[in-house]
Amino acid sequence: MELVIKDLHANIGDKPILKGVNLTVKPGSIHAIMGPNGSGKSTLSNTIMGHPSYEVTAGEVWYKGHNILELDVDARAKLGLFLAFQYPVSIPGVTVANFLRAAVNAHRAEEGKDPRETAIPMAQFRKEIREQMAALGVNEAFARRYLNDGFSGGEKKRIEILQMSMLKPSMAIMDETDSGLDIDALKVVSQGVNTLAGHNPEMGVLVITHYQRLLNYIKPDQVSVMMDGRIVREGGPELALELEERGYDFIREEVFGNGN
Amino acid sequence: MATKFPVLAELSATDVVVSHEPVWLQEWRQAAWQAYTTSTPPYWRRTDLSAYDLADMQVSAEHHGNVVATLPAGAIVKPLAQAVREHAELVRPYLGSVVAATGARYAALNAATWQAGWFVYIPKNCVVEQPIQVTIGFGAHNTTVARNLIVVERNAQVSLVEQYAGTSGKYALSVSELVLGDGALVKYCAVQTWGADVRHIGYQVAKVGNDASIEWSAINMGGLHQHIEAETNLAGNGSRVDWMAATVASDGQRLLTAPWLRHVGRATEAHMDFKTVVKGSGYATFDGMIKIEGGSAETVTRLEEHALHLSPQARSDSIPGLKIDTNDVAKAGHASTSGEVDEEQLFYMQARGIPKDEAVHMIVMGFFEPVLDRIPLESLREEITTAIANRI
Repeated sequence: MELVIKDLHANIGDKPILKGVNLTVKPGSIHAIMGPNGSGKSTLSNTIMGHPSYEVTAGEVWYKGHNILELDVDARAKLGLFLAFQYPVSIPGVTVANFLRAAVNAHRAEEGKDPRETAIPMAQFRKEIREQMAALGVNEAFARRYLNDGFSGGEKKRIEILQMSMLKPSMAIMDETDSGLDIDALKVVSQGVNTLAGHNPEMGVLVITHYQRLLNYIKPDQVSVMMDGRIVREGGPELALELEERGYDFIREEVFGNGN
Repeated sequence: MATKFPVLAELSATDVVVSHEPVWLQEWRQAAWQAYTTSTPPYWRRTDLSAYDLADMQVSAEHHGNVVATLPAGAIVKPLAQAVREHAELVRPYLGSVVAATGARYAALNAATWQAGWFVYIPKNCVVEQPIQVTIGFGAHNTTVARNLIVVERNAQVSLVEQYAGTSGKYALSVSELVLGDGALVKYCAVQTWGADVRHIGYQVAKVGNDASIEWSAINMGGLHQHIEAETNLAGNGSRVDWMAATVASDGQRLLTAPWLRHVGRATEAHMDFKTVVKGSGYATFDGMIKIEGGSAETVTRLEEHALHLSPQARSDSIPGLKIDTNDVAKAGHASTSGEVDEEQLFYMQARGIPKDEAVHMIVMGFFEPVLDRIPLESLREEITTAIANRI
């Protein structure tokens, strides 16, 4: 199913950040949003997911027949949306394994059914987490560590991808996943995304990034450029390369005119 | 034989003398009674003593509580009332050596009237492999007065759980004295899971010898009112304490812990990590003091206290104090937080599909995890974990 964002406006406090975003992410496609710092990219991803600090003032976001802006954050996740955080939060006292099991079981829970009935069998969970950790080059010891507590930037991003691999979303939003990653980590993380998308031809991926670098590894089908809270340009993968070469200024000039 | 005590308001000097006890103890009780009757009620800035209704206290005369212990030769765990007759030579030098019988008003009342409580004696070089669990409950009347004396001699090791549990009474007055000889290693887990109507005034004090170490874990979650004054006295050179507490105060509860940390010896080291969750109209107080005495040196001390508020009416007070009477402190640190469950953590967990209630639950249980993890008995750890989970 496609994710359709219609005329989305959002504020932080009184300050408008998103000023009418229109965007469609097709199933089975990888869609990149590029833009300079402060253009509203992270606000867009957080607003789609329902971060409480962002206030939606107008617009709709449709996914699987729901205007998801009317749903609780956890309900959005259960619809198949996944946000890979730019700055993953640490949860002291909650191990990676316990957190993941709670998340997996929350996805498997069904209205009117005993959660014990729908919960993933322990052996199956252990097998899956072990396989996914191996694929991402994450040491098994991380399963027993407290979530993101004292993890390096690269470790946190790998754990984000581990979560995504376990939860198998139908629509993943990668928020500046490349920030703070060295090239090896970038390759592992990208491979994780590509593998998952490869296994699920219907999966949509929205990749939010400042730099073209990540797009060498996660090849987009479409590229949208965001500036000043709007999508100002759309194109194919060649647009990312053009931005890499010429920077954002030429688009800024085309959109806003000289001197802006 | 059982003695019947009148209620506190009618209690007299002759009542506190228990006829079958050794003369030295009778005299000790008399002195304590004297100290109690000549003292005035303390001013406690965060505890409203009038809410305790102490005049109705009626001390149960028989011993009440259970013990689970597998002991090597020479180690002793038995009711203190029995130990004063059978092991006077071991009890007498230590009884009142850490919490004076003639000191604070309610410590004196405890000394004069105690009937329950335990004597734990681990001789030098003795390593007790299995955790020992002693419980203090209620007897026939509404009040338990318990005195625990824990003596761990040189290079001995023990893990001890001291649990307060029971629903049939109303008042508990406890004193726990812990004496750690040089090089002793003690894990002390003090668990308060009283029934909903209990008012508990307690003193728990550990005196730690040279190079001895105590890992102290406190769970405070039962009762209506709690006023526990706790102290670790790092008397010995190179002595250490690693002190954690988990407090849960929900509707109507007022739970206070006043931990004192006294650095006395050279190169002493302390880590304190106190965690509190308040819910409904619950109220919890951390009234702590770190005292770095003159004559101590190379001290390392760190205090952390964190409180989570699960409802707008819930309250917690934190009154940490630090007094330094020396110029030679190696490290002293303090961190404190108080507030609602972190919005970013909640968002993160909900973004993974975990419903809000469950996310709050996991965050709170995670908050307490380091403390719960130290409960040495698996069955008790599960019982406490479930009890906390059911409260939040």
